[in-house]
Amino acid sequence: MVDWLTMTIQMVSLAMAGWCLVSTFRDRPMVVPHLVGMGVLWLLVLGQVGASVAAMVGGDRPAETAMYVSYLATVALLPPACAVWGFMERSKWGPAVIAFACLILPVLFVRLEQLWSPVA
Amino acid sequence: MPETSAPTAAKTLRTGPGRLLVAVYGVFALAATARGSYQLATRFDEAPAAYALSLFAGIVYLVAAVGLARAGRTSRRVALVSCAVEMAGVLVVGTASVFWPSVFPEDTVWSGFGSGYLFIPLVLPALGLWWILRVHRMDRD
Repeated sequence: MVDWLTMTIQMVSLAMAGWCLVSTFRDRPMVVPHLVGMGVLWLLVLGQVGASVAAMVGGDRPAETAMYVSYLATVALLPPACAVWGFMERSKWGPAVIAFACLILPVLFVRLEQLWSPVA
Repeated sequence: MPETSAPTAAKTLRTGPGRLLVAVYGVFALAATARGSYQLATRFDEAPAAYALSLFAGIVYLVAAVGLARAGRTSRRVALVSCAVEMAGVLVVGTASVFWPSVFPEDTVWSGFGSGYLFIPLVLPALGLWWILRVHRMDRD
């Protein structure tokens, strides 16, 4: 896994979460800039997923490969799924969905990094 | 006017807070199902009962998520029943794991009232039940 990409994803994700929480508390629905932000975040995530898959094809595999791949699939699908689900809602609960997704995405990446290079 | 109230209620269950509830349920269902089936597949011998219970919990969350998202009259009933099963599950297994830890040597989603999952398993069905019953009341009025 590319370390700086993970860091960037976590920062962007938390920034998106903050922005969406502000929108929620100001009683605003999701707007197109939110969607663009999620698109950027998704591209970064896909970049990391691509890099990880390339490394795995190259023979560099984590010990628990099945677990790792299932987490990888989850992070790849989470941003678009939540973006669509949130955008369909025309109230403050739309950004709330995105905020939730953007708060668990960094946690999923912590798990991915742990699986990729276990400390113990 | 039952003809018009049915679609209204169907829409309300998955709009507003329900929208967020479905997202949380969906992610949680995925996490619990994946974890349960992974443990069953790789370490079945260690604690089949606990892992089967985790998988069962995951499936119930999945049913609840779909029921909330589909939001028809029938799916609302399905969601209501699955939320009730979750509530009962987390309370019974939580109590059992505190008083008789030997029954559940390995952690499940519901052990210690879901303490391994930030108590989300305890909070989620409560929120689910509250929301479904609220929509149910709005529908009846």
